[in-house]
Amino acid sequence: MRSRLSLPARLARGLFLAVMLAWSVGPILFIVMSSFKRQVDIFVYPPKLVFTPTIDNYLKLTTQWKGFFDAMGNSLIVALGATVLAGVVSFLGGYAYSRYRSRLTSWTAVYMIAVRVLPPIVVTLPLFPVVDRLGLGDTHILLVLLYATFWVSLNTMIMKNFFDQIPYELDEAAYVDGASEWQLVHRILARLTLQGMAAGSIFVFVFAWNEYLFAMIFTTNRAKTAPLILSELMGAVDGTEWGVLFAGVTLQLVPVVLLVTLARRYLIAGLAAGAVKG
Amino acid sequence: MTDVRLSGVRKRFGRVEVIPSLDLEIEDGEFVVLVGPSGCGKSTLLRMIAGLEEIDAGELSIAGRRVNDLSPKERNIAMVFQSYALYPHMTVRDNMAFSLRLAKAEKAVVDEQIGRASGILGLAPLLDRLPRQLSGGQRQRVAMGRAIVRDPAVFLFDEPLSNLDAKLRVQMRAEIRGLHDRLKATTIYVTHDQVEAMTMADKIVVMREGRIEQVGRPMDLYARPANLFVATFLGSPEMNLLPARPAGSGFDLGADGRVAAPGAAAAAAQDLTLGVRPHQIALRPPEGADVTAAIVLVERTGAETVLTCELPSARRICVVAPGMADGRAGDRVGLAFDPAGLHCFDTKTGQALAA
Ligand SMILES: Nc1ncnc2c1ncn2[C@@H]1O[C@H](COP(=O)(O)OP(=O)(O)OP(=O)(O)O)[C@@H](O)[C@H]1O
Ligand SMILES: [Mg+2]
Repeated sequence: MRSRLSLPARLARGLFLAVMLAWSVGPILFIVMSSFKRQVDIFVYPPKLVFTPTIDNYLKLTTQWKGFFDAMGNSLIVALGATVLAGVVSFLGGYAYSRYRSRLTSWTAVYMIAVRVLPPIVVTLPLFPVVDRLGLGDTHILLVLLYATFWVSLNTMIMKNFFDQIPYELDEAAYVDGASEWQLVHRILARLTLQGMAAGSIFVFVFAWNEYLFAMIFTTNRAKTAPLILSELMGAVDGTEWGVLFAGVTLQLVPVVLLVTLARRYLIAGLAAGAVKG
Repeated sequence: MTDVRLSGVRKRFGRVEVIPSLDLEIEDGEFVVLVGPSGCGKSTLLRMIAGLEEIDAGELSIAGRRVNDLSPKERNIAMVFQSYALYPHMTVRDNMAFSLRLAKAEKAVVDEQIGRASGILGLAPLLDRLPRQLSGGQRQRVAMGRAIVRDPAVFLFDEPLSNLDAKLRVQMRAEIRGLHDRLKATTIYVTHDQVEAMTMADKIVVMREGRIEQVGRPMDLYARPANLFVATFLGSPEMNLLPARPAGSGFDLGADGRVAAPGAAAAAAQDLTLGVRPHQIALRPPEGADVTAAIVLVERTGAETVLTCELPSARRICVVAPGMADGRAGDRVGLAFDPAGLHCFDTKTGQALAA
């Protein structure tokens, strides 16, 4: 395929890739490099690409902003919790939508997508009094529920797509072989929809890990997540320590970058919504 | 004793009655083929026997036990699907072992059964492969292996060969029949290919629109079709049909001439349809023949020659002559109908008349 492109086309493509790369990787590179610079070096112009790295910023983060690491712990709990919850629900939901078709299910499918299109805050704010009444304010559970709910509709449809690609004859073969519905689901269908599960889980995890707005509204202390501390870092009364902020941001980025890199195969498959090879 | 009995079995999908009311008895160890045109309800019937489709009314019993309300796994059946439906993420071995493991069979039993099945089917070298690493014929065999490891009372096949090329189909046909002769388990086999039905079955069930048109041994159906549908459905090329009237000791074909049939005087003077298979028409010189026709098309397969001819009424008739028969398009020929091969049908009802 490559050889069929003409030279100008190839140049154009190279240029396009370069721009995209600068666009997406540039800011990350800037943040990561800055986190290893002294405060005075960060905003000098022209930026220094070669410098003597220092880990002072990271040390300062551990000594002066201990709360950041607790918050990262909270982020991890919330992100994992939401991932597991959304995973289970959308897996079972996708199965039901794919295998139990009726007028009711097709109608609710449309509704689920419709809800997803509303601005999340519109759906969420009315929850405030409910949350209060239930005493769920500032708890991990609440964020887990919110984040999972936010993704369940889309992930259910992604999973439905994956299930739809598995011929129903396979279910029937398993039933004839003596499988119960549960055995069919967990010994056969679960293995064949792994890619979808992986992709969906990454969406939820990354979203929950990065989310700021809901966390700000619904947590104050115990369940505070890392992005909130980062924003506090920025607004510190004694002036922003950019180096420390960038160190925090770098740490915050690590799991996301790792996850996306490790699972990019699944991610792309998930975005293409499902291809199970026979 | 694993006989399968259906009495008054019905099935409807929404408002469409797919199987109006069907009775069928299948004896222990019999190889029964359900055959019929697409959409006639063969698969639906098979799936009802398997327990994959609910039975709306009537009774289904396997080995004397009513099984209407039992799940597939409680019916002691195994099924081979058209798409094979192998579990894509499992090796051949695991595909075959799946049902045994679900039944919590001992490992030694599982190994023994897989050894036996893979021996019968020649799967031993493929046991550790995944389905996607197999050819179509090999997948077919694995699907059969998955069925036989369980020693089921009844084997169900739904068009298992339709995804294979012609040559492999002939080979697997013989293999499945050979397998049956060896295991002697009751088998119900669905196909819309009449050659499969003729070559494999102990008993053929010809279906149309959810009804059974005729049941019987292949050669009985071929020699004595109960009606026009069965007559034209079985046999290739199709039986020729000609409108006729009884006349003396024979039949008057109107413009096309007459056919002598010494024994056939009994039929009442009515409109009937005369059927004759292409193999039971012989070519003669046109001079003095009762029926003459013009050759339109000649097809030679080597072993036989298939001639399409046009009668004076412009009706087409197919003749199969053994070996390399002479004749070219445009030639005139005389046709001699074998009196023993004549079939009479009531034109209105399509039912066979005693000839
Ligand atoms: N789940 C279903 N819902 C509605 N109609 C159905 C369903 N399954 C089958 N039918 C209808 O029932 C009739 C019989 O279908 P069936 O699959 O039994 O035919 P078949 O004889 O196996 O045909 P083929 O040779 O094409 O496989 C068809 O008209 C089909 O459209
Ligand atoms: Mg069918």
